[in-house]
Parts: sequence; structure tokens; C-alpha cells
Amino acid sequence: MLKGFFNILIKELKELVRDPKILLGMIIVPLIIFPVLGGIMSYSVQTAQEQAQKATVLVIDNDGGKWSQEFVNLLNSTAKVYVEKNVTSLTDEVVQQLLSHYNTTQIIEIPKGFSENVTQHLNVNSTITATLKFYGVFTGSGIFEGIGASLIDNLVHQFNRIQAPDIVLTEKSSIIKGEIKQGVDPASLSGLMMSQSIALPITIMILLQVAMQIAATSVAMEKEEKTLETLLTLPMDRFAILMGKLSGSIIVAAVGALAFMIGYNYMLFSFTMQIPAEISVDLASLGLVPSLFGYLLLGISLFVTLISALALAVIISAFAEDVRGAQSLVGYIYPVIFIPALALMYLDISSLPFALQMVFYAIPYSHPIIASKAVIMGDYWTAIFGIVYVAVFTIVLMYAASRLFATEKILTAKLKFKGLRRRRKKTEEEF
Amino acid sequence: MSLAVEAVNVVKVFGDIHALNKLSFKVKPSEIFGLIGPNGAGKTTALRIVSTLLLPTSGTVRVFGLDVVEEAAEVRKIITYLPEEAGAYRHLSGWEYLEFMAKFNAKDESELRRMVEEAAEITGLGERLKDKTKGYSKGMKRRLLVARALMTRPKLAVLDEPTSGLDVLHAFHVREIIKRYVKEHGVTVLLSSHNMLEVEHLCDRVALLNKGKIVAEGNPKELKEKFDSANLEEVFAKVVGLA
Ligand SMILES: Nc1ncnc2c1ncn2[C@@H]1O[C@H](COP(=O)(O)OP(=O)(O)OP(=O)(O)O)[C@@H](O)[C@H]1O
Ligand SMILES: [Mg+2]
Repeated sequence: MLKGFFNILIKELKELVRDPKILLGMIIVPLIIFPVLGGIMSYSVQTAQEQAQKATVLVIDNDGGKWSQEFVNLLNSTAKVYVEKNVTSLTDEVVQQLLSHYNTTQIIEIPKGFSENVTQHLNVNSTITATLKFYGVFTGSGIFEGIGASLIDNLVHQFNRIQAPDIVLTEKSSIIKGEIKQGVDPASLSGLMMSQSIALPITIMILLQVAMQIAATSVAMEKEEKTLETLLTLPMDRFAILMGKLSGSIIVAAVGALAFMIGYNYMLFSFTMQIPAEISVDLASLGLVPSLFGYLLLGISLFVTLISALALAVIISAFAEDVRGAQSLVGYIYPVIFIPALALMYLDISSLPFALQMVFYAIPYSHPIIASKAVIMGDYWTAIFGIVYVAVFTIVLMYAASRLFATEKILTAKLKFKGLRRRRKKTEEEF
Repeated sequence: MSLAVEAVNVVKVFGDIHALNKLSFKVKPSEIFGLIGPNGAGKTTALRIVSTLLLPTSGTVRVFGLDVVEEAAEVRKIITYLPEEAGAYRHLSGWEYLEFMAKFNAKDESELRRMVEEAAEITGLGERLKDKTKGYSKGMKRRLLVARALMTRPKLAVLDEPTSGLDVLHAFHVREIIKRYVKEHGVTVLLSSHNMLEVEHLCDRVALLNKGKIVAEGNPKELKEKFDSANLEEVFAKVVGLA
């Protein structure tokens, strides 16, 4: 029994080693994905830190006293600070004007009576506290969202350490699409957004992967079962064969995309957060779910991306001789799908260095993920641009696929790993 | 009247393998023409070029006057091709397979019925046609595919080793059917085989192929006389210099 086991094991290993596509796929994919991802992460963290150092803060000093001045001085040591005095009613419109005038995304309001309260605390009654208000614009930029809010936390902490513990408290609010959401901490909001934006790329990844496998298999099956040759001699346009095969997979993919959208919507509405313990806020009431138009764009984006993945899978599978070969060839595309998906789970595309942004925009498979964030933030043009780009990309692929089907290449094309495989020696016996 | 097939100086190179080396032959309408030769002689390659699957590296092939490269779509309308190692769709039944294939050629429902019924008879599979093809034996599958290649009554049927995998009786049956189709429906047949004895009985004319070249061509009887041989195997051995 053991003898048989080893005999089979050795034969299996031999076959694997002689078909390097499979082995390379298994080794190369993880070997590429994780180092690249690590590189992107650390590069982005570095960039974000540099950006944070250049960050600007607008201080609205409604107090004008000694202690507010003290606080501004402290702030000046870490960030570029603009000061505006006596803006008493901070309505949505006023805040918008100020933000665009100073070109900043964070405001600290020092309310009237701040210095008075600090003085009281120090001299009279240590239960009296002073309050600072922080307003941060919610940009949806992933793990770096909280940087501004944590900056003020640090400052207040420093201030309290110098003066007295618990003397100054902070009230944090988020500005979401131009509206002030009182009491919603930008940092915890971004945590909430991220927890749902992890599920999204994973699902898109799985969907793309499954769809590509289906399409690749459908062509490779015809080769493996030896039905393709017959099909190619039938009196019909070969483009019809291609389209017929693609449409079959597209229907499966469309059903997949639809199921995806339904599940995604359900998930978004089920996310709530507790801030602070007594108020619970959900993303829908904060306006952080896509509008109907946004959903539509996201659906279209997903659909065209799926088609482009299918077309690519069909082209690739033409180079394989059988189903196993086609699936391992398709595996080479996975890093291109996985890297942007994984990276965009934690990072917003805007927080990436420019060159990387370009690379991600060039990869069609990142567009549904980019679009999903964009439509939440109401940035429809990004989603539309993505759809147009992916559509053009798909048309080019389809053209290539139809060319491939029109010639004998569909039958004879083979990917050769020259050097890895010993060149087959031409022997006279063959003739 | 134009020739059914006219191949002129066809060369086909795969990498560094010369599969066909200036191959020329002519097939007349309504005859059964056999390309015969040993394994690797280039039979399949030649038939695939005639069937518009492969492009010749150089040379020309015309099917009823139509160029297989320039007018491939037109050629596909008048031919059927039976690949050497073909399969049927595993999850379709024999009936469904025949219907699927007939739909590409049939002009209307009644023609479709005619084709499928004719094919069903050729297969001799009877009730087994209702089973999925994945349960068929090699010979059953082959009969299904031969039937599909003939049912449309093409002007030219290109059959790559039509009787391969069939037992003596079924091979005989298929040969009779091929002959019947040629006689009754004026179908021209271009087939390949390495069974030279079978070809003697079936073909009006044969071409002996070796290393991508025709080494002898003619009526089997004439060839035997010319080379003073008892059968085509002997003829072949003589022309390639083995005897
Ligand atoms: N797609 C291909 N790629 C590379 N070489 C090929 C290809 N198809 C055929 N050949 C080569 O061309 C030569 C002729 O092959 P072909 O299949 O035409 O022979 P055949 O006469 O049909 O043989 P058999 O009787 O074994 O079917 C062989 O040497 C074969 O290896
Ligand atoms: Mg052959």
C-alpha cells in the first residue's frame, strides 16, 4: 500500500514540475502579492505622515482670553494655524465658507468663556471644565482619516498635563458632505466606514475570480472535450461563438453582481455605531450610503468590470490546452485584482502617492472599489470616469478576443515557458 | 465543373516541424478520396487546412472554387468536418447534440427534423440517444459524430479517420453509410485513414502521404497494378523504399 502511495506521489510531483504554469502560479502569486502590498502600505503611511505635517488648522477663537492664546501657541508648534476671531454662529454655510477660504479640513472652535472656565478650574472649583470643539471634514480616506482628530487629542492631553488633569475636554464633530454632524467623532466614523469597506473589496475580489474561472473554463472545456474544432467549422460567424460563450458567463456574472448589490445594501444599512454610548448613529442617517443614482453607477461599474474580466479570461484560456491549464493561467491575473483590492481596503486612492494612483487607475479591477467609495461621498464623476475607462478597455479586449477567434491561433496558440521546459527534441521516429 | 478540392503546393510549418511539404492533390465532385499514410504523415493537418481551421503557411486550397483562406465563411457553409479526436458535449443527450448541431444548418423546422431523424438512424443508437453522451462508449460517440457530419448532406464531408475506434461490424456499417450518402445525395468525401485495407474498399481514389508529401496517387486498383503489389500496404512500403 505504501509503495503504491509513493509511486503516485512521485508521479504527481513529476507532472507538476513538468507543467510549470501551475507551480509558478502557486508560488509567484503569494510571493508577489504580499511584498507589493507591504511596500504600498509603508509608502502610503510615509506619504500620509508627510502630508499630516503640512496640515493646516483653522482656529475660531471666540474667547479671546489668555488661555485661548496659550492654547493657540501650543498648537502653533505642531501645525500651521490660522486664527479667526468671533464667529459666533457656526452654521453649515459659514463653516463651508471658512473651510474653502482657508483651504483646510479641520476647525477648532474655542468657545466664549474658555479662559474663564480654565481660570475657575485652577483657582476656585476643580469640577468646572473648559470645552474645545473640533470639526473634521470626513473625506473617506481610510486609515488616515483620524489623523486630524488625534492631533487635537494630543494637544489637549499636553495642555492638561501642563495645567491640570481633566481641565479641557473636547467635543468632536464631523462635517459630512457639507453638513455638521454634532458629536460624531471622525475617527470612530472612519473606523466604521473601514469595517464595511473591507467586506466590499473582498466580495468584489471573489466575484471577479469566480467569473473569470467560469469564462476560462467554458472555452477550455471545448478544447479539453474536443468540441471546439467542430464548432469552428460550423457555418456561423466566429464572433457569434465568442459572444455566445461570453454572454453565458455575463449572465452568471450579472446575477452575481445583482446578488452582490443586494447583499451590500443590506450590510450598509445594518452598520450602526454608538457615539458616545447613548446616541447610536447609522451610516444611512449620516448620509454615508450611496444614493439611488450612486447605486446604479456602482452596479454599472461592477458589471463592465466583470465583462472586462470575462473577456480577458476568454483570451487567456485560448492559450491553454485544457481546463487545468486555463485555470492556472487565469491565476496569473489574480495579483492584479488582489493588490488594488487589498490596498484599497485600508487606503483611499487619494492618499496614495501619485505614481501608484496612476497604476491603480490603470488597472480596471480597482474601479468598482474606487467607485464604491466615490458614490458614498457623492463624487459621481470618479465613478463615471471609471466606467468609461473600463468600457474602453473591455472593447479593446473584445476586439483582441475576436481576432483570436478568427484565426487558427485559438487552436494552436500555446504559452511556452522556454528554458523551464526542456525543448522537445525532434526525433526521426516521429515521421 | 469545378473540383471539389484542389490543393496546390500546400506547406504548413509548426515551429521547426514541416507538417506539409508542398502537398498537392485534387478531389473530384461526388467521389470518395482517401488521404492515407502513417502516423505523423500530415493527414490531419491537411484536412484541417481544407476545413478552414488552420491557415496554410504557403500554397492554396480551393473547395468548389472557394479559397479556404479568403472565403472561409463561404467554405464553412458547404462542408462538414469530423475531427480525428472529437467529443460531444457531455451533459447533452445524443438527441440534444444532434439538434444543437442541426440548428446551425437547417433552414426550417422540417429540415431540422429530417436531419436529426436521419442522423439518429445512422448512429444505430436507438433508445440510447436519450442518454447523456458522457455515458457513451468510444464507438457510440464516434457513430454519433459521423452521423452529425453526414446529416446535413454537405457538398464536402471532411472525415478524419471516420472509423477509428469502431469494431469491424460498426466500421463496416459506417463505410456503407458513407458510400450511400455519396451515391444518394451526391456528397463528396475527403477522408483520412491509416488503415490501408479499409481504404481500398471504400475510396475511389487515394493519395499516399508520407512526411507531408504525396508519394503516390490514383485508383487503388491501378496503384496495385502499377507497383505490382497485392494490397496498398505493399504499395506504400515500395514507394517509401522499405521493400
Ligand atoms: N498544433 C501543432 N503544433 C505543432 N506541431 C503539430 C501541430 N499539429 C500537428 N503537428 C505536427 O505535424 C506533423 C503532422 O501531424 P498530423 O497530425 O497532421 O499527422 P497525421 O498524419 O494526422 O497522424 P496520425 O495518423 O497520427 O493522426 C506531426 O509531426 C505533428 O507533430
Ligand atoms: Mg491525424
